[in-house]
Amino acid sequence: MLLDRRIDVRTHDLIPAQVPAATQQEIERFLFQEARLLDERRFWEWDRLFTDTGMYWVPQEHGQENPFDHISLFWENRMLREVRIRRVENARNWSQQPQTQTAHLVGNVCIDGLDAQGLLVVSATFQVSEWRLEQRQLAGRYTYKLAAQDSGGWKIQLKRVDLINCNDVFANLEVFV
Amino acid sequence: MIPSNEQIAALVRSDSVHKSVYTDPVLFQLEMERIYGQAWIYVGHESQVRQPGDYHTTRLGDQDVIMVRGANQRVNVLYNRCPHKGAKLVADGDGSVGKFFRCPYHAWTFKLDGQHLSAPLKSGFEGTCYDPRHADFSMVSLARVESYRGFVFASQAAHGPDLKSFLGGVITSIDNLCDRSPVGEVEVAGGVFRVQQRSNWKVFYENLHDTMHARVTHESSVDAARGEAEAIGEMPFELLIMDGNGEPYDFWEKLELRAYHNGHGYMEAIFDPTAAERDEVSRAHFDCLSEAYGEPRAREILGMNRHNTVIYGSGSPHTVFMQFRVIRPLAVDRTLVEIQTFRCKGAPDAVFDRALTYANVINSPSSNVMPDDVEVYARCQEGNLTRGGEWISMHRYVGTDTLLEDGAVSTNGTSELPMRNQFAAWKHFMTATLIAKESTHAA
Repeated sequence: MLLDRRIDVRTHDLIPAQVPAATQQEIERFLFQEARLLDERRFWEWDRLFTDTGMYWVPQEHGQENPFDHISLFWENRMLREVRIRRVENARNWSQQPQTQTAHLVGNVCIDGLDAQGLLVVSATFQVSEWRLEQRQLAGRYTYKLAAQDSGGWKIQLKRVDLINCNDVFANLEVFV
Repeated sequence: MIPSNEQIAALVRSDSVHKSVYTDPVLFQLEMERIYGQAWIYVGHESQVRQPGDYHTTRLGDQDVIMVRGANQRVNVLYNRCPHKGAKLVADGDGSVGKFFRCPYHAWTFKLDGQHLSAPLKSGFEGTCYDPRHADFSMVSLARVESYRGFVFASQAAHGPDLKSFLGGVITSIDNLCDRSPVGEVEVAGGVFRVQQRSNWKVFYENLHDTMHARVTHESSVDAARGEAEAIGEMPFELLIMDGNGEPYDFWEKLELRAYHNGHGYMEAIFDPTAAERDEVSRAHFDCLSEAYGEPRAREILGMNRHNTVIYGSGSPHTVFMQFRVIRPLAVDRTLVEIQTFRCKGAPDAVFDRALTYANVINSPSSNVMPDDVEVYARCQEGNLTRGGEWISMHRYVGTDTLLEDGAVSTNGTSELPMRNQFAAWKHFMTATLIAKESTHAA
């Protein structure tokens, strides 16, 4: 099941971390590139930014502690992300005609620290303009847990998306925020 | 111009319905008075207001209401209006008012049953008609409030059938939802999604038992789930509940559709939870219920495998996966759905995990299944605004339904019996002489 309590989603009470300016820049570039993949609907490539066990999470409640005893707007492992990608790319996806278009703006990138497993926790503010038949504005804060790769670069162990209106009434959310 | 009863009755034929029932704002306003203003409508579950002073707000028809736990533990349902200047007493949402309501405008206070408690500087009322015991100075309660196994309903009409008679046979779905707990009780848990549809509320009710749309509308999510299952080599629960819509026509033809009076009904289940690979949840649930009720009864409870139930005007419980999609009309072309998830008290944690997963995967705004539904509902709404025809067909298997004392049952699972049954109720509510309307407001 997806509700495996061993999945560590904590992003507070971190170990302070100092990173060199070059690393900070590299991480910013990583986040900008991630946003660009979403805007260009290169979803399969986007999904490959996650580790094999990486999770995509959009809480439904402000300050939500975990996805295990409360609903989430998204709580997706690779299998569910792939299902979403397959669906939006299906020829008979009535609700994607016309398809959703997005423009992400990512800023205020902060290195927050290290979690208990030594994953680097990074946060950033985002604005997403999303259009399908009409335009809507999504905004909030991303919090990532990034795993350094032996081959260099980073992969996402957790992408947490805290929308400022997470507990609001929503029209469908069809693509990743 | 308000249409006459004869004009309204002419909109519903035995096999079709006039498109204006979905698009005419005048009819929508009449529905708010004659259906939502009279019928028993689900407000919320008692578990949403545990302690005296706890409240939950929602909208019954076009009315903002507060469900609040009283000092005597009784659950009250009041209009969200201060009798002084009319301000809504509490903000929309859930919370606690403590021992009494206090208006944020001029500090008038009210007991938890709405009765006037006090107003500041009473000397200013001397020699006036101000009377704290007069109904004009208290919050107004909905005419009738009844609870069935924790499910709180209210009616804005002072007279009419009681809740049990109104629900009729569909009460068995509420029973089954509760009986799935070894102590016979459920509670709303894990938060409530709210999703908006750009369509008339009735389209959604009809869709809930529309078996002919499943494999057509949902082709994208069925294909996606099947493609993924093939890629990973198994069909876990999360994919199974998307895959079910893709069953061939002969599968749907064999399902049973049951219609009860007042527009209610249910559809036999399409997902067998035990069909999920790695399914240990059903086994654990069965063991738990067997211990509480004995094996034959446990088998009976879990064997009642219903897909969507319809409680007309209130929404759609899903008894197997412990959800209640509460349907709130906002405008002639706008509908809000509140999705409640239930925990079966005393049942294994995995049963709630499964309910939460079902909510996240199927009923969340991010559902891969729902957007295609919502899209076709919106297309119906827009298509019905064109001059391209007047009537909506519900001919499928008309005249073949088996009539029963408390409703009817389909002879074929693709029958449009549920729609015909809903519109029979709609016509009845919309044309029946209004029941003691005045006493509603005098109360």
